[in-house]
Amino acid sequence: MNKHLLGVIDATTHIEDLEELTSHRSVAAIPFGGRYRLIDFILSNMVNSGIQSVAIFPKFQYRSLMDHLGSGKNWDLNRKRDGLFFFPSPRLDKPIFGINSFEHFAENMDFLTRSTQEYCLISNANTIFNMDFSPLLDWHIDSNCDITEVQKNGRSINLFLVKTSLLLDLIHTRKETGYLNMKDVVTDLNSPYRVCHYSYEGYALTVDSISTYYAASMELLNREIWEKLFLQERPILTKVKDEPPTRYTSSAVVFNSMIANGAQIEGTVENSIIARGVHIAKGAVVKNSIIMQKTVIQENCVLEHVILDKDVKIEQGTTIIGTEQVPKILRKGSIVKGECVSS
Amino acid sequence: MQKKKQKIVAMLLAGGQGSRLNSLTKNLAKPAVPFGGKYRIIDFPLSNCTNSGIDTVGVLTQYQPLILNSYIGIGSAWDLDRKDGGVTVLPPYTASTEMKWYTGTASAIFQNLNYLQQYDPEYVLILSGDHIYKMNYELMLDYHIQKGADATVSVVQVPWEEANRFGILNTDNNHQVVEFDEKPKEPKSNLASMGIYIFNWKVLEAYLLMDEQNPNSSHDFGKDILPKMLQDQKDLFAYPFKGYWKDVGTVQSLWEANMDLLDDNNELDLFDQSWRIYSVNPNQPPQYISKDAIITNSLVNEGCTIEGNVIRTVVFQGVSIGKDSVIKDSVIMPDAIIEKGCYIENAIVSSGVKITAGSVIRPKEEGEILLVSDEMLEEMITN
Repeated sequence: MNKHLLGVIDATTHIEDLEELTSHRSVAAIPFGGRYRLIDFILSNMVNSGIQSVAIFPKFQYRSLMDHLGSGKNWDLNRKRDGLFFFPSPRLDKPIFGINSFEHFAENMDFLTRSTQEYCLISNANTIFNMDFSPLLDWHIDSNCDITEVQKNGRSINLFLVKTSLLLDLIHTRKETGYLNMKDVVTDLNSPYRVCHYSYEGYALTVDSISTYYAASMELLNREIWEKLFLQERPILTKVKDEPPTRYTSSAVVFNSMIANGAQIEGTVENSIIARGVHIAKGAVVKNSIIMQKTVIQENCVLEHVILDKDVKIEQGTTIIGTEQVPKILRKGSIVKGECVSS
Repeated sequence: MQKKKQKIVAMLLAGGQGSRLNSLTKNLAKPAVPFGGKYRIIDFPLSNCTNSGIDTVGVLTQYQPLILNSYIGIGSAWDLDRKDGGVTVLPPYTASTEMKWYTGTASAIFQNLNYLQQYDPEYVLILSGDHIYKMNYELMLDYHIQKGADATVSVVQVPWEEANRFGILNTDNNHQVVEFDEKPKEPKSNLASMGIYIFNWKVLEAYLLMDEQNPNSSHDFGKDILPKMLQDQKDLFAYPFKGYWKDVGTVQSLWEANMDLLDDNNELDLFDQSWRIYSVNPNQPPQYISKDAIITNSLVNEGCTIEGNVIRTVVFQGVSIGKDSVIKDSVIMPDAIIEKGCYIENAIVSSGVKITAGSVIRPKEEGEILLVSDEMLEEMITN
């Protein structure tokens, strides 16, 4: 099914507002929901919609993204024919041409011209949603559209469907037309193409700032929302780790939280997202927070409204208090010794 | 067809029915029985192999192999999908002259001599898929080589009062085996065989060929092959294993082994990164613990939704536990659904079982462990 749909993920997005989480990784690789990275949503959606060939265009700090995706095996994309392809930009300059830059695609024309899929789905890598693209493709064909832009509540979610041949044309003629990316084409009122807008009714949230990141994470604790995101028939796939089940000791107190495997909980956890391999020691209290992989919180710490990146170590007796509007963020590998930090 | 020569090849006997596990093994072989919140029993020997640097493993299956075979797949979960070696599932087969089932541990290996011959190994490691333990087989091999043994049997000290349930080895001061005592009434030692053997391949091959000709043999390693080797004055050594080792052959012992994981000082540390136990990961979302839930002293796997009260319990992936339910001292296997207001104590709830709201499930006798299956629930209703 959908062998005639090619997936293209633009993972070049660089967002100043997310700087604190992207100093060593790309936006696409930001950890989310205790075990995922942002790119897992679009990638799983593509795979669950039957797409068997996905091209990823990364730029800047893509080591963690490559490590995460590997051969594509976890998404069943380690195929003999088609599968997962990486096209890092050969240049390191800022992506001045915006997301879905034709200039960037042009560097890898060979791949696009060689692809046999008739249609191409182009997406960003930082939207959290669980969408089946088959109805979208049917709608696009039935409506006789040249380009379909997917919108949520009237706003673009940077997801476009075009014929692969049209995409190639747009790339070839970019100098003459002045179109730098897909957005330019769909927003040009004088463009010669029939541009359609497809309204997506499901849950979708694009992470473009710390506050949307924090909000999207906290929304996961709303059962109605996670039931829309994590469907058994269309699972969000990610790189699996061989972590044991989560261990709760007799001193653990946990409520309204999402907790990933390999975590060891001895303290109190409330309204929080706890990633794989996190250790929360006795007497520690974690509230309204996001704790990323393998971070260690020692005895009697108090953390509220914080985002702790991977491998952070909070030594015993530390208090860190942020606010809902401005959560306190600690970068990967930070070590904080017994002190009070509040913003 | 000759393959790349291997120093050691492991043969994992995974055909057992495990009838004492009752309905748990109705549709699956004992090595495929779920354990520890995310694993199956066979994950332990397979992970031990890969962690010990053994990458050629034959898995002998016979009883109810469907789930086990599809679980093993091509072995990638244990990093055993290799160009040379890797994991090979070995079912019984028909040969030109006859059709034979595996009748004993030795006959199962005998029927797969062709598998071993193609690797022409120096040593063969025999394992069973019935036990929960972590063991470095490489250290056992070093010991076997250092002793100059023909065969080495891994042994563990069991409580004296239980020694009469095991195959007991009597040894001299140098750990050389002098006598086998199968389930002795009056044990002279408490060193029990763990069913783990290393043989020099050529010796094993010769004895298997010999044993097959013996019409009086039950074709069993413990009863026939090893006693015969001892009789022929071959050098047999006992390898003393220290650490956690448990036969999970009964509902009671399976429950106990799960509860052992919840002991703060448990020897079988699943969180030890240097000796990971690998398994086929279900790739489900993190567990959701609602504001009404209370969880203490438990192991909970991904994909669970917990709204009730979970005390000293092992919960596998995809389980949901409803509001106001209390689960105590129990094991809840994958995808079981426990609705609101249930009370469950000292039970093993089988995979996929649905327990309707307000049910009370606990054994009649103290110390008994109740195995909850669909059949058992139906019986409860009709009575």
